[in-house]
Amino acid sequence: MTLFAAERIDKLFPGVRALDDVTLKLEAGSVHALLGENGAGKSTLIKVITGLYKPDGGRLLLDGREVQFGSPHESASAGIGVVHQERNLIPGFSVGENILLQSLPTSRGLVDRARIRSEAARWLAELDLDLDPDKPVTELSVAQAQLVEIAKALSVESQVLLLDEPTASITPNEAERLFRVVDKLKNDGRSVLFVSHKLEEVFQICDTVTVLRDGSSVLESGALSDLTRDQVVDLMVGRVHEALTLPPRTVPADVEPLLELTGVSTATGHADVNLAVRPGEIVGLYGLVGAGRSELAKALLGLDRITAGEVRVRGQVVRIKNVRDALKTYKIGYVTENRKEEGVFLEQSVSRNIAVTVWDRLRKALGQVPFLRYVPKKAETALVVDYVEQLGIRIASPEQLAGTLSGGNQQKVSLAKWLAAKTEILIIDEPTVGIDVRTKDAFHTLIWDLAANGLAILLSTSDLPEMITLADRVVVMRDHRVRGEVPNDHDYDTMSQQVIRLIHAERTAA
Amino acid sequence: MKRFALRFARTTEMTLLVICVVFFIGLVIASHGDLLEPNSLRVLLQFLAVPVLIGLAQMVVLAVGQLNLAVGAVGGFTACAMGVLMADHGVPVPLALLIGFLLASVAGLLNGLLVVLTRINGFIVTLATMTVLLGVQYRLVGTRTVDAYPQGLKSFGSHAVFGVLPLIFLVALVVAALLAVMLRRTVPGRRLLASGGNPIAARLSGISNDRSVIIAHTLSGAILGVAAILTVASSPGVNKSIGGDWLLPSFAAPIIGGALLTGGSAVVLGTVLAAFIVRFVDTARAEFSLEPSWVNFVVGTVVLGSVVLGQVRSRRQERRTVVKAPDAAVAGGVS
Repeated sequence: MTLFAAERIDKLFPGVRALDDVTLKLEAGSVHALLGENGAGKSTLIKVITGLYKPDGGRLLLDGREVQFGSPHESASAGIGVVHQERNLIPGFSVGENILLQSLPTSRGLVDRARIRSEAARWLAELDLDLDPDKPVTELSVAQAQLVEIAKALSVESQVLLLDEPTASITPNEAERLFRVVDKLKNDGRSVLFVSHKLEEVFQICDTVTVLRDGSSVLESGALSDLTRDQVVDLMVGRVHEALTLPPRTVPADVEPLLELTGVSTATGHADVNLAVRPGEIVGLYGLVGAGRSELAKALLGLDRITAGEVRVRGQVVRIKNVRDALKTYKIGYVTENRKEEGVFLEQSVSRNIAVTVWDRLRKALGQVPFLRYVPKKAETALVVDYVEQLGIRIASPEQLAGTLSGGNQQKVSLAKWLAAKTEILIIDEPTVGIDVRTKDAFHTLIWDLAANGLAILLSTSDLPEMITLADRVVVMRDHRVRGEVPNDHDYDTMSQQVIRLIHAERTAA
Repeated sequence: MKRFALRFARTTEMTLLVICVVFFIGLVIASHGDLLEPNSLRVLLQFLAVPVLIGLAQMVVLAVGQLNLAVGAVGGFTACAMGVLMADHGVPVPLALLIGFLLASVAGLLNGLLVVLTRINGFIVTLATMTVLLGVQYRLVGTRTVDAYPQGLKSFGSHAVFGVLPLIFLVALVVAALLAVMLRRTVPGRRLLASGGNPIAARLSGISNDRSVIIAHTLSGAILGVAAILTVASSPGVNKSIGGDWLLPSFAAPIIGGALLTGGSAVVLGTVLAAFIVRFVDTARAEFSLEPSWVNFVVGTVVLGSVVLGQVRSRRQERRTVVKAPDAAVAGGVS
């Protein structure tokens, strides 16, 4: 019996068709997997189902009746429980209060603690969870907190439960426990939607699967028992890439690496990371969200502690203390993935944004007066004009505020400041997130040219086509470890197969 | 019960209680027992009523992740309004006090509405209302001191049960108790704290964060109304300087008491105890005839110290949960 269906859903964003005629059906007593690469439309679909987005076409059916949700609260009240990727508990509240937060029981105007305890205990028991309802949630482990969220989702008598990457931040042991709960819910006749990147988990607990690719469903409610892991991977990645042709380029293999990591472990959980980037080379760092790519970059910049192993820059073992040190002493630049928060000063002019890394070099003393040094506007503008031209940044004047530029141009500004600082090693993190296809190609050409000019580039991205277009070698990361390295033959089909297989390789292989 | 006792032993409140007791004993010894005289005790408590209330008025907005810079202005303005109503216009005492209470509550409500409707940061909104109300307060009393209001009110302000427990102190304690019950045991109170603790989660649970912000600011105003009434009752008169020195103590008490500036914490007891500690510092100053500036120095240091202490504590707790996670999964594992 179909408990819930999203039928022929369309969702449009300016310039993008995020969902195109997607249908998802959830059966009672069954666990359904929703799979797809980053950007395939999984999150958008979940947001449509939970009422955060209004669909532009199609309809939602609950128990055969058409429903419309104006807010996440409405969908929850209708019986669709969601456990989001982010933690959604109130710190300082007890387990019981968090579970029953949507409708706290009262007697004579006061919150009825005895009933909270007994009702919460009932939901906890349903999940075979041995937890004191009075315990503050701040004392829970990550997995326990996740299970409490499931109890919370169930407490509104939900028949449909959406689990969005529930195992992203918990250990395999804890995940096993979660799966037992999912199994129990299924046997009780509820319907569970399981979103995960971990294929072994999907094959372990799910019955059916819907696969999204580029906003459309390439497989609707297929039985997982009829599918192999390879077939699922093919469905996920099997897109035809409209290739950007870049001029051929050879990387001399015998040159000493500019940046080399041997056996590096970090305070954020990396273990035994080895990689090397030579001048003129683009090394791709590929992995799903949460694989530890950005964290590795931050450790290289001295923002997180490196606990073991060696980092060599130009052959010398170094200890990078902070970003300033990375830039001034070792000529390492970092183009952040969070353009708006960490990449540009939105309220400042383009010229200020680009010159910020080189103010020390530009500033002049005002006569002999001590401390009175300033950055002459002329020097700043002269410097900026060069990079605006080189990178093709479209601006009205160097004084234009960075916040008024398009995403692609902002990203170029964010890159330009590192070029101005004459960095030799560039770590580029998710350079084209939220940038349209044409600008993306322009950006790719730009990165390609930078490497051709002798920069060593470490390109971290979860966008597989981007990786295959640009990288000379692809280093695959998962769970804060390097899972393997693949030389890039720039052939989408063979590369994607190899990379995705490394990511989804059985845990035992690691 | 035992577990509750254990949990309490590790809280900020427990630390503050110990500090309070030790400090008090120290003061008693330093004063050669003089502090235990009924009259000394009465004076000590008499000057605690208003600091407790203004600390609570700030605490309740901090709980929802806001702040209120207008505490002194709301209190000072309503105190002067009540004084003028009684002295210049002959309004009966109960009616004047009721009007004062309502004025303060409405001022709080306005703060809340402005924050919610304009989406302007609460810092700026309350900075603006503070400035406006200071102007109104000056307009009301100018440079004079209004003191010609009925003796009955003044004797209420100075009356003490058994000659030790001032009535106004008891009023402050009752307000604290009511606020504690409201925040811990009523649905609006829980929602207010949920909004402060995790607004996104609160919204997903069908809680209106806007309503929580409005309720918090209104409560803040109402508590300041009570503080203004007690001020009028216990001071020789009201003038333009009433409320001028409330702002810093209003932040000091909840912050020392363990309030999180990010919201979500209800520390009624902590705020009350912190007000005691600040009062003890003042008493000590008098006892040892130190310069008044020492009080600011000590209070400022204590505020900084307690914030640092709170950070150390939460960092240690984080480390504990991280370490605990794997074996907790094993121990709590289901069969």
